Amino acid sequence: MSRIMVTPRPQRSMGVRIGVPSLSLLVAMLLGALILVLTGADPVEVYRTMFDASLNGTVALERTLTYATPLILTGLAAAIAFRVKVYNIGAEGQLFMGAIGASAVALTLPSGTPTVLMVGAMMVAGALAGLVWAGFAAVPKAFLGTDEIITTLMLNFVALAFMNYLIFGSFSFLRDPTRPVPQGEAIPASATMPSISGRLHIGILIAVGLAVVLWWVLRSTTFGFRMRTIGDSPRAARYAGIGVPLTTLAVLSISGALAGVAGAIEVSGVTNRLDPQSLAIELGYTGIVIAAVARLNPIGVVPVAVLLAAIAAAGGSMQSIGVQVQVVVLLQGLIFLSVTAGEFFVTNKVALRPPPPTTIQPVADPVGGGA
Amino acid sequence: MNDSVLVLSIASALVAGTPILLAALGEIITERAGVMNLGIEGMMLMGAVAGFWCGVHTGSLTLSLLVGGLAGAALSLVHAVLAITLRVNQTVSGLSLVIVGSGLAAFLGAAGETSLLERANGVDVDQLLPDALADLPLVGPILFGYDPVVYVTVILVGVASRVLYRSAAGLSLRAVGEDPAAADAAGLHVVRIRYLATTIGGVGAGVGGAYLVLAVLGTWQTGLTAGVGWIAVALVILAGWRPWLALAGAYAFGALRGLGFTLQIAQVSIPSDFLAMIPFVAAYVVVVAVSASPNRSRRVAAPAALGEPYNREER
Repeated sequence: MSRIMVTPRPQRSMGVRIGVPSLSLLVAMLLGALILVLTGADPVEVYRTMFDASLNGTVALERTLTYATPLILTGLAAAIAFRVKVYNIGAEGQLFMGAIGASAVALTLPSGTPTVLMVGAMMVAGALAGLVWAGFAAVPKAFLGTDEIITTLMLNFVALAFMNYLIFGSFSFLRDPTRPVPQGEAIPASATMPSISGRLHIGILIAVGLAVVLWWVLRSTTFGFRMRTIGDSPRAARYAGIGVPLTTLAVLSISGALAGVAGAIEVSGVTNRLDPQSLAIELGYTGIVIAAVARLNPIGVVPVAVLLAAIAAAGGSMQSIGVQVQVVVLLQGLIFLSVTAGEFFVTNKVALRPPPPTTIQPVADPVGGGA
Repeated sequence: MNDSVLVLSIASALVAGTPILLAALGEIITERAGVMNLGIEGMMLMGAVAGFWCGVHTGSLTLSLLVGGLAGAALSLVHAVLAITLRVNQTVSGLSLVIVGSGLAAFLGAAGETSLLERANGVDVDQLLPDALADLPLVGPILFGYDPVVYVTVILVGVASRVLYRSAAGLSLRAVGEDPAAADAAGLHVVRIRYLATTIGGVGAGVGGAYLVLAVLGTWQTGLTAGVGWIAVALVILAGWRPWLALAGAYAFGALRGLGFTLQIAQVSIPSDFLAMIPFVAAYVVVVAVSASPNRSRRVAAPAALGEPYNREER
């Protein structure tokens, strides 16, 4: 009989739902500090530099929110797919395809096209490219029951190699012919996303807007009801006459489109060219864990993505204090693990079992005679 | 004859396939017990960084592989705590493991005065058998020219297969993966077996990562696994959780990875990025084809309780 007693919490108070993840965050920071100390860095300096680089001041906040934009979208992509128990691990590749589609459109349309049309066309192209790429996993999943974890994953590496080929391995029209070092052709000024403040572009509004829309769809539409039913019990959904394959197909397509839009926004708002190295930074994989930490709630994805972006945005500043940039990924990973572990304490109450009544205990030394 | 394209590609396929096979073999044990660990890529990277570090400082292959295995096991224990004891979503936990593992490996690999990035491989990986055998025409390089790890891995496949299907331990392991409640009722310690299986998976991935950097690649680079861990995840499913099929698949993937080299010799020009795609496209095609085949229920025999946490109190 274990001394620790675990009982499910019938109701999860707001305090538990916010308090436990906050505590998990603290634990992750402490673990990170421990690793930093062990490798000879000063954790206080690291965290202070991080805070200054991502939260302290307008420029820092602009940087963080710019980083957050694609993460919100990949987080949403994962959140809605996971809601129907479809494990789309392919946001990474869908994002690359979206970026390729958007770049192709920006370099094909006349550069004099008004920004509204140009950026709009890029978003549509990005969404379609992501959707089609997700379709390679969605169609076999819906009609053959093919495991989507593996197909979406494999498609990530194919998309990455394809993007590398377009820039590094060939002389495609997406590559700048004048540079000896391979890099993408710059998109025209009309294809760059309008700025809100400094480097922060309107992509953040699109991302947050889509989060609200998805939250509403899930909550108040028939389609959302179908999604929730499938998520709770696919069998019940079938009995209720919900077309599970078609809903799966639709959700995975929307998921791919969201990731594709993330790629399009990165090209239009940040990289301004098809730049494999700045796009292949695991935005897709990070989005999955963001969605999980946000408990697959579209609105919850936004603050979690901003938090993770605040850490990612500090990467550049780490060099100035002589700490490897990679510490950023390490910290993100620790936060994910710690918050995921914390989930157990949100759904369960853990307490020490009261000691058993003394009468049952065997009396070892009845008379006190001793040895 | 010994340096003909075919002979060289078969030999390189077995070497390139061995790290995939080690990782996949470990994952088969893990998944057979009902635990899905998607964190192979992260565990391989941890094994690689620890193994390479050990190689630089000791020069011993055995010790380096051992240290790599320990590093992989350490990370897999994190997954075990999350997936088995805390019963969190295993997909999410596994992915977090990849992020932690790749972040930590990249951080450690770049840390210090002379980072691993600037270090030369400290380990000599020598062939096991005498030259007299390895120099035999045709069969020499294909059968006798490898380092000990390649042979030990094949033996391990045999051992794993035998243990899984022909021993009480294997029966217990599979029982826990198929129906943990029944296994529990029969007196098996579900949690302990799952912990053990997950740790074995971590050792496999860690040793695989260390072998990859020491014997296949030879230098430390950030993110050097480049998807090998994910190939191993796919391979487990493709092989239907069976060790000997995993061996065949791993060597096939090894051959695909070496295809670029072969085609270069044969003077066929295919862009290197397309060559990089081939293993992934192949895995995709095979997964879809297997699911499209009529008797897929028999071919794709996933452990029934795979990915499902076991809660004794909900029995």
